[in-house]
Amino acid sequence: MPIPFIMPKMDMDQEEVVIDQWLKNEGDTVEKGEPVIIVETDKITSEIEAPAEGKLARILYKENQVVPVTQVVAFILKEGETEADLPHVETADDETQQDTHQSKSAIEGKPISATSLAKRIAETEGFDLREVPAVGEKITKEDIDAYLQTRCKIKPRVESPATPAARRFALAHNVDLKTVEGSGPRKRVQASDVLNAVQQMSHKTPDRQSTATKLEPLQLTSMRRRIAERLTASYQNIPHIFLTVEVDISRAEKVRKQLNQKASTKGFPNISITTYLVKVISVCLMRHPFLNAYLKDERIHFWEDAHIGIATALEDGLIVPVIHKANKLSIHEINRQVKTLSQKAHEGSLSREEIQGGTFTISNLGMYGINSFTSIINQPQSAILSVGAIKRRPVVVDDEDSINVRPLMNLTLAADHRIIDGAIAAHFLVDLKDLLEDPEGVINSG
Amino acid sequence: MGSNKINAAYDNEETTDARKKAAELGLTNEDLVSMYEVMVEIRHFEEMATTLYGLGKVHGTMHLSIGQEAVAAGAGFTLQDKDYLINHHRGHGHFIASGADVNKMMAEFLGKETGFCHGRGGSMHIADVTANNLGAQGIVAAQIAMAPGVGIAIKMRKTDQVALVIFGDGAANRGVFLESLNMSSIWDLPVVYLCENNHYGMSAEVGRVSGKVPFKDRAEALGIPGYFIDGNDVLAVYEFMKNAFSHARSGSGPVFVETETYRILGHSKSDRNLYRTKDEINQWKEKDPIIRFRDLLLEADIITVKQVDEIEKKMAKVIEDAVEFAENSPEPNIEDVMEWVYA
Amino acid sequence: MPEITFRQAIHDALVEEMRRDSSVFLIGEDIGTYGGAFGVTAGILDEFGRDRVWETPISEETIVGSAVGAAIVGMKPIAEIMFMDFLTLVLDPLANQAAKVRYMFGGKATVPMVVRMPSGSGTGAAAHHSQSLETILMHIPGLKVVAPSTPYDAKGLLLSAIRDPNPVCFVEHKLLYKTKGEVPNGEYTIPLGVADIKREGTDLTIVTSEIMVHKSLSAAEDVSKEGISVEILDPRTLLPLDVDTITNSVMKTGRLLVVHEAVKTAGWAGEIMASVSESPAWDYLDAPMRRLTGKDVPIPYNRFLERAAVPQEEDIVREIQAIVSNQY
Repeated sequence: MPIPFIMPKMDMDQEEVVIDQWLKNEGDTVEKGEPVIIVETDKITSEIEAPAEGKLARILYKENQVVPVTQVVAFILKEGETEADLPHVETADDETQQDTHQSKSAIEGKPISATSLAKRIAETEGFDLREVPAVGEKITKEDIDAYLQTRCKIKPRVESPATPAARRFALAHNVDLKTVEGSGPRKRVQASDVLNAVQQMSHKTPDRQSTATKLEPLQLTSMRRRIAERLTASYQNIPHIFLTVEVDISRAEKVRKQLNQKASTKGFPNISITTYLVKVISVCLMRHPFLNAYLKDERIHFWEDAHIGIATALEDGLIVPVIHKANKLSIHEINRQVKTLSQKAHEGSLSREEIQGGTFTISNLGMYGINSFTSIINQPQSAILSVGAIKRRPVVVDDEDSINVRPLMNLTLAADHRIIDGAIAAHFLVDLKDLLEDPEGVINSG
Repeated sequence: MGSNKINAAYDNEETTDARKKAAELGLTNEDLVSMYEVMVEIRHFEEMATTLYGLGKVHGTMHLSIGQEAVAAGAGFTLQDKDYLINHHRGHGHFIASGADVNKMMAEFLGKETGFCHGRGGSMHIADVTANNLGAQGIVAAQIAMAPGVGIAIKMRKTDQVALVIFGDGAANRGVFLESLNMSSIWDLPVVYLCENNHYGMSAEVGRVSGKVPFKDRAEALGIPGYFIDGNDVLAVYEFMKNAFSHARSGSGPVFVETETYRILGHSKSDRNLYRTKDEINQWKEKDPIIRFRDLLLEADIITVKQVDEIEKKMAKVIEDAVEFAENSPEPNIEDVMEWVYA
Repeated sequence: MPEITFRQAIHDALVEEMRRDSSVFLIGEDIGTYGGAFGVTAGILDEFGRDRVWETPISEETIVGSAVGAAIVGMKPIAEIMFMDFLTLVLDPLANQAAKVRYMFGGKATVPMVVRMPSGSGTGAAAHHSQSLETILMHIPGLKVVAPSTPYDAKGLLLSAIRDPNPVCFVEHKLLYKTKGEVPNGEYTIPLGVADIKREGTDLTIVTSEIMVHKSLSAAEDVSKEGISVEILDPRTLLPLDVDTITNSVMKTGRLLVVHEAVKTAGWAGEIMASVSESPAWDYLDAPMRRLTGKDVPIPYNRFLERAAVPQEEDIVREIQAIVSNQY
């Protein structure tokens, strides 16, 4: 076997050499260690010595050609060997090499003209030199600097500065850091800021964590402020007692139906349960003067007539128009006034007189389905009646020992305990119950 | 070239009668032949190293000792198993001469797991501490600073061991050279300093970079017996090293032996020999220690031409087998890269 | 428990280990009759003789080089480098031989040696005898770096260092030599690579070592009156670093201050912070991690300048207050 003449590697980081000169030709005899090739690497010229003694054969790389180190560049025929003994290898001649070079750059598009420094920067920074506009013919380091500056307009990825701990809490509690005001330097959100936000949120909406948003506070309207003041004063100053009674209104309903039949023939509007209550209460109050009185300067003042207020819910509050001297009005008149005042209340057109001078109030939440509730006394009155919903329920009828289904309604009286003892209140309430359950006398009275 | 340039010791060379000399040194014919064999083995190892490098099979660089085989063989034959060897980066020859397994050396050279250092050290750091080969240092003269410590250990243990530290002319100009020799001198440490003066520290010609040569004068100035001898004469190296070892072993303190030899190849593989002439290299090739010893043995009929051929073939085979062993050996496991940082 | 000085603790460790193990020996300048530049080895020559106390010429590189040589053949040398500043003279045997031979010889060599080196400023010794160069050593895989702050730690750690099969650099801050602390009678060791919490706290973690541990403890006491609770953590071993203990403390307090005497740039404070950044503790930080270190300057001679060059107790107090109140 002929000995391959290998281009030796000479430096640790060396990859290729350029053949400067062949000192021997094919067919020449060479001694082991005799210089055969002069090569150039990094501007240093070196002699490459023959690896063995013999005849030089098949030179594979010509002068000025680049040879990767450790490549076979020729063969040395030992004594007795001929060219026929050479292995079959493709010769790498100039043309094919250049062809590959050209086709390579053709594939990559137009050739890039850049300084070697520029190329190196592009390689280490990892961008395509073709993107870099050149001022001169070649792309220079300056061109790259300018390009990199336009490319890099710093926008912080993180919009809200926050400590890592704050971020961790925000993530855990689903808090949007943008909604949290930072107490740290440069408004940086601290862990404590997030925790405070979480606490506030849980006060507002105990079973919802989705928003930490604080709702805009609602400024009190003058009406609301007045209500707040009066109710607070009443509740603080008046010791309330509460009594509830269940009223069977099956007969009252029957009476109301009859009345309505009459009313419709006369062209009067239907009589509401409120009208009915106002009428019966006004009569009852005349029998129980302590419920139609008030305490002032250590005296109990009694009213001559029953002026009955009707608590009316509005969108932004509550107003209590008054049926004056209800005890002296017919049920139809009461009904007319109730309707007119209710309409005026919703229109906001009640006069001062129409809301003043009440001596007793009724509050009806029955239309909302509320069974029973308590109310706060509307000062300077001494009692208020809370009216629940009329519901059909099974009851044991006392004198029959049987269960009947009857329309029932709960009435709860709140009374000023300073002037009204429990028994007085009870008497009033039972009397009222009786009147409501057996209404004919009252209704027919006027 | 400075005026300090060393004159080769063998300019007034006498013909040595190998038989007579061997008898004086207590060496048998077999000893002489095996010394010759070792020199040939070293030469083959180094030539194979350069071939493998040329083939791109060696990852790093290497520092070859072609032309310096007599120093290695002479010292290696003096060194006993119990003695410590502290070596430098151009150390292949010393290890082979002191009996190291060339298979493991070649495997290390190729960075394989089966190498002396499991591929962690490479050509420059071959070591076999369990066999008292304390390894080769890549920092010039580092091993000189370590030597007194080995001497202290021997002295504290009161054994008859010797620490042999080998270094080149370049190392003799390092600061620790003075520190180390001085320390060994004041404490009479059992250290043999073997200076392998091969004329060049990389490209620095010894006369040009040294205030005064030979370096053995510096040792003498510190109170250490110093000798300057022909390093291409294996029997001379053996003779002086033998005496040096006896001196150190007897508790009489350190000895300094400077051997003059020549680095035929460049400093490392990237050397282009720009700092010396071809003529100079060729002159030294004429003084090839292997040819010289071969001729001496032939002349004294200790060896035949046929034997010389056989030794040549035998050693070529030993090295080829070493390459085969190395090439067939596994690479170290990547996962083991952190192994052996700490004990 | 008896109270002894830091100097005495190191002395005792040396003597006890030399009595226990005949392969332990001392090597260094003026360590014999003189007793070492800081008196640590006083009296040891008398007890053990010149066979165990190798008093050298001024040859630092060969002192440490010899320690490496002796260690490779199985001895346990303890070298003393009179000032840590001379580390620059011994870096070759330390970095290139001691630290690397085991690895580059494929695990075949073991280098059980200790290099003691007095460090730090505060003695008016100026630029060549006052440096704290721990970081240089920490940058070299294969070495271990120990830097105790109390007599108790010094003794326990030195015994471990001598018995460790690796090269250990043992840093002794000069101002600590006279400090006293409780050290139990009898043998005990402290494992290398385990940090110690010198004071527990909840608001801020200070990682610090050597003399700065004491300055930080005083500062922590000061700010405790303001209701600030500072945890002080002494790594004790700088290489390998006990990162887990540090990160656990930071997770607890959410704030980290590293205090060291060495200069700031590329100091080990940066290493601690980087380790915390890479750990789960990152998510628990509620303030930027801060460094309070020596200024990037050679140690000056003038006493006021010297003081100004390295952190003092009042600087630590200020820094704690600033971090805890987000004022920086």
